[in-house]
Amino acid sequence: MAARAALEALLRDRKLDRTLTSTLPERLGDDAVAAIGIDTLDRAVAGRYGPQDYTAGGLPRGQVSEVIGPASSGRTSLAWAALAAATRRGESVALIDTFDRFDPPTADACGIRLSRLLWVRGQAVSKTAVAIDPAWLPGVRAVNGPGTFMERVIDRAIKALNLVVQSRVCTLVVIDLIDVPAHALRRLPASTWFRIERAIEGSDTAVLILSAIPVARSAGGRSIQLGGETQRVMWKGDHERTRRVAGVRSRASIAAARWSHVQCVDVETIVPNAV
Amino acid sequence: MFAALYAPSIPAAALIEVARAFTPRFEQIGSVVLLDASGLSRLFGTAQELGEHLRDALEKQSPGDSLARIAIASTQTAVTLLALGQPGLTVVVPGKEAIALAPLSVNVLDAFEKLSEPSAFAPAHPADLRRDRAPDSQGAGWHHPRTTHQASRGKRRAPENRLLEILTKWGIRTLGALTALSGPEIHERLGERGAYWQSLARGMDARPMVPWVDEVPFEAALELEWPIEGLEPLSFVLARLLEPLSERLERADRGAAVIYTSLRLTSRTVYTRTLQLPAPMRDPKTLRTLILLDLESHPPDAPIDIVRVFIEPTPAKVLQWTLLERAQPAPEQVTTLTARLTALMGAGHVGSPVLVDTWRPGSFTMSDFRSQIADQLKKSDGSIEKQSAHRPSAIDQQSEISDLTSSDCARLRSALRRFRFPIPTRVIVQEGRPVRVQTDRQGFSSGAIVQAAGPWRTSGEWWNTPSPGSNASAPSAALGSSVPSTSARRATADKSVAWDRDEWDVAMTDGTIYRLVVERGVGQWFLEGVID
Repeated sequence: MAARAALEALLRDRKLDRTLTSTLPERLGDDAVAAIGIDTLDRAVAGRYGPQDYTAGGLPRGQVSEVIGPASSGRTSLAWAALAAATRRGESVALIDTFDRFDPPTADACGIRLSRLLWVRGQAVSKTAVAIDPAWLPGVRAVNGPGTFMERVIDRAIKALNLVVQSRVCTLVVIDLIDVPAHALRRLPASTWFRIERAIEGSDTAVLILSAIPVARSAGGRSIQLGGETQRVMWKGDHERTRRVAGVRSRASIAAARWSHVQCVDVETIVPNAV
Repeated sequence: MFAALYAPSIPAAALIEVARAFTPRFEQIGSVVLLDASGLSRLFGTAQELGEHLRDALEKQSPGDSLARIAIASTQTAVTLLALGQPGLTVVVPGKEAIALAPLSVNVLDAFEKLSEPSAFAPAHPADLRRDRAPDSQGAGWHHPRTTHQASRGKRRAPENRLLEILTKWGIRTLGALTALSGPEIHERLGERGAYWQSLARGMDARPMVPWVDEVPFEAALELEWPIEGLEPLSFVLARLLEPLSERLERADRGAAVIYTSLRLTSRTVYTRTLQLPAPMRDPKTLRTLILLDLESHPPDAPIDIVRVFIEPTPAKVLQWTLLERAQPAPEQVTTLTARLTALMGAGHVGSPVLVDTWRPGSFTMSDFRSQIADQLKKSDGSIEKQSAHRPSAIDQQSEISDLTSSDCARLRSALRRFRFPIPTRVIVQEGRPVRVQTDRQGFSSGAIVQAAGPWRTSGEWWNTPSPGSNASAPSAALGSSVPSTSARRATADKSVAWDRDEWDVAMTDGTIYRLVVERGVGQWFLEGVID
C-alpha cells in the first residue's frame, strides 16, 4: 500500500498522474464538456460508444479537438456556435485568428457575446506590402515558402495559442488555421500540439483547431469532419431576382479514439436574412 | 490610557504635529486629537507628568493660550468629553471616569456627536502637515482608514437635537444626572440613542481607536553604479523596487491604478512610460512583467542610469462573486495575458471587438479585453444595446435556431469569413449576372458560377464626402484585370469614407459560396468573403 502511495506521489510530481493513473476523479456532466449549444450535435459529439457515460454532450474540456472540412461546409459556423454557447454560459473564450478572417457583425448575429471574446488577430496576407502592418515585415524574404511571411504568421499564431492556454483565462480556445496551406501545416512539428495538450490537460480549457485538413487531436478529443459528397447549397426564391442563398447542407462525421463507430449527423447552416 | 487635546485657537495640523511628537498612534476626531498614551510612562513618567509635557508642547505652538484643554483617562470617550467640557489639564484615575464626568453638562454629548459629523471630520490639509513634500504629490498626506472602509459610522443626527431638548425638559442638566437614571427605562423612552448617550456619560467606549496612518507617495528609485542595457538586468532592478512598494500597497489596502516608470538614461534624458492598469493590482511579479512587456515594445534608446517607479494608488476593489456562476479570471491574469499577446502580435491585434453604429459591412472597433468588467458595464450602459439595435437580436436569432433543431438535423447560423483586404478578381458578367470568377490567389477556387444571388446594393457616408466619381452604372461587361487599378486601390484604401457597392453571393462548382463585391464607383470586382 505504501509502495503504491509512493508511486502515485512520484507520478504526481512528474505530472503523470492524469495520464497513467486514475487518481483524479473523472469529471462528469456539464463540467466535463463545452457544449456547442445544438442538442443533436452535442449528443453526437458525446458519442454513445465512448468509454465515459456523459450526461451532457459537447467538446471535452482539457482536450484538443478539431473541426475540418472544405470551404463552405459549415466548419466556421460550428466553431462560432461553440463560441456563442460558451459566452452565453458566461465563460471567457479566445479566438486565434491566424489570417484575420473573423467578422464581428456576423459573429454578433450568431450569438457570440463579443465582450467575452479575446480576439487575437493575425495578419491578413496581401500582395500589397503597404497593407501589411510594418511590425510584421522586418526579416521577411517572401510571401510564401520557408522562413517567409506566411511562416511568421503561423508561428505567431501558435505562440499566441500557447500563451492563451497557459494563462487559463479562457475556457474555450479556437485557433483558425483554415487558410494555412497544407504544406505549411505539415511542417509544424508534432511537439507543437503535444505541448498544447500538456498545457490544458486536467484544466477547464477546451481547444478547437479549425482547419481544412486533419491537424491534431488529443487522445480524448474529437475530430469533426464536415462536408463530403452530401454537401450542397440550398437556395430560396423562385425568380432569379428574388433568389438568395438559404444555407448549406452537409454531414458531420465525428470520430474519437477508442470509438468503434463514427458518429454521423446532418448539419445545415442557415444564412441570416439580413445581409 | 488615552489623552485628548483640544485647542480651538491652534490649527488642527499643529495639534497633529504635537500628537505625532508623543506617539505614532493618534486619531483626529473633528477638532479633538486623541492619543494612545499606553506605554508612554517610560518616556514621560506618570499621567500627570505626561499631561504637563503635553501642555508645554501646546504652549510652544500657541504661547499664552488659556483655552487649550488636555485630558488623560483610561477610555477614549472620557478623555474626549473631558477635553470638550473641562478647561485646563484633567487627569483621571482609572475606574473613576464616571465620577470625573458627572459634573459636566449634557451639552458635551451633543458636542461629542458633532465631532463625528463629516464636516467636523475633514482631515487636515496635507500641505500643512508635510511642508517638505513634493508639490505634485496631491494624493499624499494623512488619511484616515475609515474614509475607505465601511467602518465610517458617523451617526445620523437630527438637525436640532431632539434628545437634548427632552433631557433639558426632564431637568437632566449633567452627565451625573443622566447616569443616575435607570438604563432600561432610558431605553424604553429614548430608544437606542438614549442608551448610547447614557453609556457615553459613563465614559464607556463604543468602538476601538482607529489610528491614523501616514500615506507617503508610492515611489521608489534606484541609482545604479553602472549603467544597464537590456531588459534582463532591468528585471532584477524592478523586482527590488516593486516588492517593497507592493508590500506598502497591501498594508494600505491599495492597488496600483497607474504605474509611471521613469528611466534616466546615460544620454541625460529621462525616458518615461505610463502604464494604465485596467483593474487595481499589487502583485509585484505581475507589475514587473507588465512594465517589462511595455518596455519590450518601447525600449529606451540608451543605457539606464537611474530607475524610478511611481505608483498611483487607488482603493483596492472588492468584488462579490457568486458560488452559482463560473469563476472569472483574475484581472492580473487577463492583463498579463493581453500584454504578452500585444507584445507578440502588435498593438491593435488583441482585444475584444465592439460593433459600431453603422451599416458599413464588416465595421468594428477594438477594445480592451476585460470580460467580467465589460458585462457589468453592459448592464448599466445602454450604448451597446443601442449599437446593435438595428440588427436582429442575437438571442432572438438563437432561439430561432433552437426552434429549428427539433429534427435530427443540426442547424447552425452561417458564418462569414471576411477577407480584411478584399481580393481583386476577374469576373465575367453575362446579362447583368456574374457567370465566371477567376483569381490568381492560391487556395481559392476559380471557375464557372453555378448559381448567383444578388445584387444587394448598399451605400453610405456619401453625404460626408465628395461624390466618388458618380458613374454609377451597374457592371454589365466583362472586367479583366488581375492587378487592381490605381483607382481601385484607392477605393479599397479609402474605406473610412463613402461606400457604394453591389454584393453577390455566388456558388461555385466545388460547393464554395463566395461573397463577391463590385465597387460601383470604379467597377472593380473583389472577393470579400466566404460563407462557411
